[in-house]
Amino acid sequence: MIDRPLRNPAIIWREEDELRDAAMAMLERGEDASGEGVMILLCAGVMHQLNMLGAEIWKRCDGEHTVDAIAAGLAEVFDAEPDEIAADVREFVSDMQRRGWLAE
Amino acid sequence: MKPFVLSAPLIVNWTLSFRCNFACNHCYSRAEDASAELSTAQIKSIMDTLAARKVSFINFGGGEPLLCSDLFELAGYASGLGFKVSMNTNGWLLDETRAALAKNAGFETVGVSIDSHRAEVHDGFRNMPGSFERAVNAVRQLRSNGVRVTMSSVICRINADEFVSLVDMAESLGVEQIFLHNYKCAGMGMTNRDELDLSPPEWREFYIKAMNLKAARSGIRISMDDPITATIKGGDAESPLVKGSTCGKLSLNIRANGDVTPCGFIPVPIGNLLRDDFDSIWRGSDVLGKLRNKEPKAKCLQCKHYADCLGGCSARAYAATGDFESPDPHCWFEPV
Ligand code: SF4
Repeated sequence: MIDRPLRNPAIIWREEDELRDAAMAMLERGEDASGEGVMILLCAGVMHQLNMLGAEIWKRCDGEHTVDAIAAGLAEVFDAEPDEIAADVREFVSDMQRRGWLAE
Repeated sequence: MKPFVLSAPLIVNWTLSFRCNFACNHCYSRAEDASAELSTAQIKSIMDTLAARKVSFINFGGGEPLLCSDLFELAGYASGLGFKVSMNTNGWLLDETRAALAKNAGFETVGVSIDSHRAEVHDGFRNMPGSFERAVNAVRQLRSNGVRVTMSSVICRINADEFVSLVDMAESLGVEQIFLHNYKCAGMGMTNRDELDLSPPEWREFYIKAMNLKAARSGIRISMDDPITATIKGGDAESPLVKGSTCGKLSLNIRANGDVTPCGFIPVPIGNLLRDDFDSIWRGSDVLGKLRNKEPKAKCLQCKHYADCLGGCSARAYAATGDFESPDPHCWFEPV
């Protein structure tokens, strides 16, 4: 597991502000927003979308934040315990690494 | 995850001018009015709008973009705004000096059109003796100036049986990616359709071979970018998030006079960026709405691939029938 994940610079990405706001509003109403895409990623011609959790992790993959720091940041956004969210972060970081979305 | 309409296109294809130094047999834009062009300041102002909408890519096409005296200034401005900038050229004017200018202007990639590995076939198709040699030289000049090069080849009767040699040639020239473009029956492509276009079974045969080649090659990326390939097992699937044609979903086209069309091959203006608000066009256009929400018609109603294919290429359907929702004329599906 990479300690300080860094986004692959070849990947083009864009956060969709309106969709993010809508997903945020769902969360605030206590609804499940995990199926709502809020960010697009274009990787080697293939487009992917990330939900809010994925997008918040992705934005923090700047080579500076450790996995624990990312989890702490997310805990604030999602009003959750850092330990609870750390497992999700680790899993997503491994997945990104496997897909080549992170710099070597 | 649910599909969604993007807040703005990711890719804008931009015809700066319809002027061209060639007269190719398949050209979609030769019949267009080459007199109305935007000023440099107007183009920059539109680029500012696109940057504010977080559009990622601008690709200059044409006509021949190198005939525009402000091309490098515009490309430099666009790359300064953070766009990934590319262009498609026939390569004739791309000498050592212009290759260096392209590098300095921040071109991310340059696509050079080469349609056959045999010089006489390419020159005949492009109606320009010597054009093969100049295009190959353009690739070399770009590479030696550190610009990434792609190659564009329009698949049709002149090259469908020999496309492997075309891919071999691209790879040996150091090209990163080859686009095997499907033949579009728009503009001169419509006029010369009988002579140049493949039949639906021939398209099927071509795509099966091309996909096998794509899977087998690691030295060069082979892209086909044709929604109809979704019907072939293990299909191209370059953009699984977006089904069918990408125009109006991922991309948009700007013409030389500022008119906006869904793509370069659909000559239906849906607004003009000198006059109309960009968001109103992107969100409010009925034509884009129709392209994003196609309904199956005719044989598509009986086809199990519709969810992935969405009737194939909307531009071809429109050119052949005047209806975006008609089945793609290249489609080989025969209902029983
Ligand atoms: S019948 Fe329609 S949906 Fe099926 S492959 Fe042909 S164009 Fe696509």
